[in-house]
Amino acid sequence: DHGFGLPTSARGCLSSVSSQDVPTPEKPRAVFHTSESDPAKHTEHHEGRHYSIPLQEVKAVFPHGLPYRFQQQIQTFNEACVMVRRPALELLTYLGSSNLAHPAVRYVIYGERGTGKTMTLCHVIHYCSRQGWLVLHIPDAHLWVKNCRELLQSSYNKDRLDQPLQASAWLKNFKTSNEHFLREIKTQKKYTWGKQESTEEGRPLGEVVEQGLARVRSASDAVGVVLKELKQQSHRGSFRLLVAVDGVNALWGRTTLRKEDKSPVSPEELTLVYNLRKMMRNDWSGGAVVTTLSQTGSLFKPSSAYLPQELLGKEGFDALDPFVPILVPNYSPREFESCYGYYLERRWLQHEKARTEDGKAELQFLSGSNPRQLDRLAGPL
Amino acid sequence: QMLRLIHTTTAVQRKNVGASGPEKYTEAFIKKQIEEFNLGKRHLANMMGEDPETFTQEDIDRSIAYLFPSGLFDKRARPMMKHPTEIFPEQRKIQWREDGRPFHFLFYTGKQSYYSLMHETYENLLNAQKYQDQLIAQDLPFQKEKSNLAGSRWLTKIELEEMLLEKLSDDDYSRFIQLLEKLMALPCSDIEEKYIEKFSKEVPVQMQKVVIEPLQHDERGVAFSTGEGTRKTARAMAVVYDNGSGKMTVNGTDILHYFPVLQDREQLLFPFQFLDRIGKHDMVCTVSGGGRSAQAGAIRLACARALRSFVTEKEVEFMRQAGLLTVDPRVKERKKPGQEGARRKFTWKKR
Repeated sequence: DHGFGLPTSARGCLSSVSSQDVPTPEKPRAVFHTSESDPAKHTEHHEGRHYSIPLQEVKAVFPHGLPYRFQQQIQTFNEACVMVRRPALELLTYLGSSNLAHPAVRYVIYGERGTGKTMTLCHVIHYCSRQGWLVLHIPDAHLWVKNCRELLQSSYNKDRLDQPLQASAWLKNFKTSNEHFLREIKTQKKYTWGKQESTEEGRPLGEVVEQGLARVRSASDAVGVVLKELKQQSHRGSFRLLVAVDGVNALWGRTTLRKEDKSPVSPEELTLVYNLRKMMRNDWSGGAVVTTLSQTGSLFKPSSAYLPQELLGKEGFDALDPFVPILVPNYSPREFESCYGYYLERRWLQHEKARTEDGKAELQFLSGSNPRQLDRLAGPL
Repeated sequence: QMLRLIHTTTAVQRKNVGASGPEKYTEAFIKKQIEEFNLGKRHLANMMGEDPETFTQEDIDRSIAYLFPSGLFDKRARPMMKHPTEIFPEQRKIQWREDGRPFHFLFYTGKQSYYSLMHETYENLLNAQKYQDQLIAQDLPFQKEKSNLAGSRWLTKIELEEMLLEKLSDDDYSRFIQLLEKLMALPCSDIEEKYIEKFSKEVPVQMQKVVIEPLQHDERGVAFSTGEGTRKTARAMAVVYDNGSGKMTVNGTDILHYFPVLQDREQLLFPFQFLDRIGKHDMVCTVSGGGRSAQAGAIRLACARALRSFVTEKEVEFMRQAGLLTVDPRVKERKKPGQEGARRKFTWKKR
């Protein structure tokens, strides 16, 4: 295990590296990287270091979860490196030591804009998928409450509205991420999808998903069925379920959608949202619910709001009430150095002045140690 | 053959009034004006309820400003009451006797006072040279006292014209100054110094020595200093603490939240980066007015001024040359009538 470096030696290493023209590829890697690619083994020792996820795993585990800029970064650097940070480590310890017989504990990751909440969530998802949990990942709940082209009246319940496009997109991604589970889990009830199609009891869940993908009209109902089944079965304990929702405040906010008579749609009237809310309740056991609050996609909320109370609203807060809040702060000085070192090492910072101490101080000041700002700043350099 | 007057326009025959020059004031007129001024001064003192004997020019100005309030911007356009010698420009009195004979022997040169001045100066120069020869003959050491070190300058051409009451050309002026310089170069005795003083002026102190405040210490013992800055309509007051970690707060919020735009944060960074003190100081500041950019500029100036106390004089000079300590004089230009904006004219239509 290479990770013994203290911050001072890290800096010394870095300065010696920058003075040489052609740095040896091994040395700097050792400082800001760990070879531990299994999140299960990440401890405080590894805090501030990057670990890389093999690209095939990325495609399998995160078909739709990663932030757009991070995906671009993966393409540029040809590797996916995630920083191990304290909130993630906290979450991992909780998850590891959670008693699955108890009702599912809900964790809410919150923080200012651009501090790395989604990345923390992805870290946790990676851990869970490595551990063999079934990951139910909704990349951004805000996508379900705004900019929806087609709204169909639900066949199941007259009041509700369906969103076939979003539902089918999600089902597709869900299929890629959890294929082997879908073969094993069996349905427990018979579901009818209209006049001719129906799924018998005991069929693998994969069929439900196929049905949803094939018949786009009933995709939202398929999603509802999947969620219900998973909830019931994880209760039994045959597998562990992780519900990961990004932007959970969308479920209790307002929507920008309107019905044909121009009356606004409230979230309960959307099937997807309704079903997801049922998942959020802690009346099932055998897993955990990890959610993220997001201001960037949220509707009708001021940009300075980041606390759970503000973003969830009264309704959401009551619904999620006993939850474990996890704050994600900006980079600590050590994390900042690690990120800076990573960019340097990948030759992302091309400007000569960026390599100096002054340049580093400047970057730290201008970005305010905010990960997103740093990423955007380092882009043109 | 007589030249007959051919038909000409009336314009030629009309007297050219403007060419005769400004009106000449007679001495009697000036005297009358002075008497009227003194009387008026006493009346004014009585009106204001003050003692006529001890009524100074400042009191007159104050009373006039009180009795005739005016909103005009130009001070010279407002009502004023001053001594006639200040109001009526000095003019040359008639230079010749009743029989047409001029008083001064150099009258017919055209520039009588200038040439007489040159003659005088040259006389003094010759005196000084004679004195110097005497000293050399007596083998006495002559001192060269540099009385005017760098704090004086010669009269400008305009000032000299005012003194002599006649127009000079640039050539004349330069010749006079050359003479004076030559006179200065010789070891002068007191007489010449007095003469030279008439033509030299004190140069006021270059720059008002800006007093750099010393560091103050607050309860915890941390050194801090304050500075104010303005830009357009924004006013900022910054307090810079020592032994800090680079945290900046504006009106209670972090700079990352108050200035989402990178450009503003760069402006804030500039003073610290210039002095290589990025992570060493904490800053708390309040700002009001103006827009986003103006507030950033105002805070930058305030920080730079506050940092002067922490830094050596040489670095203060560097900062001044970098433009960190200069108030930006640019303000919004006034919109003029007949134009759409300050500079933009209305669309020009050919017809």
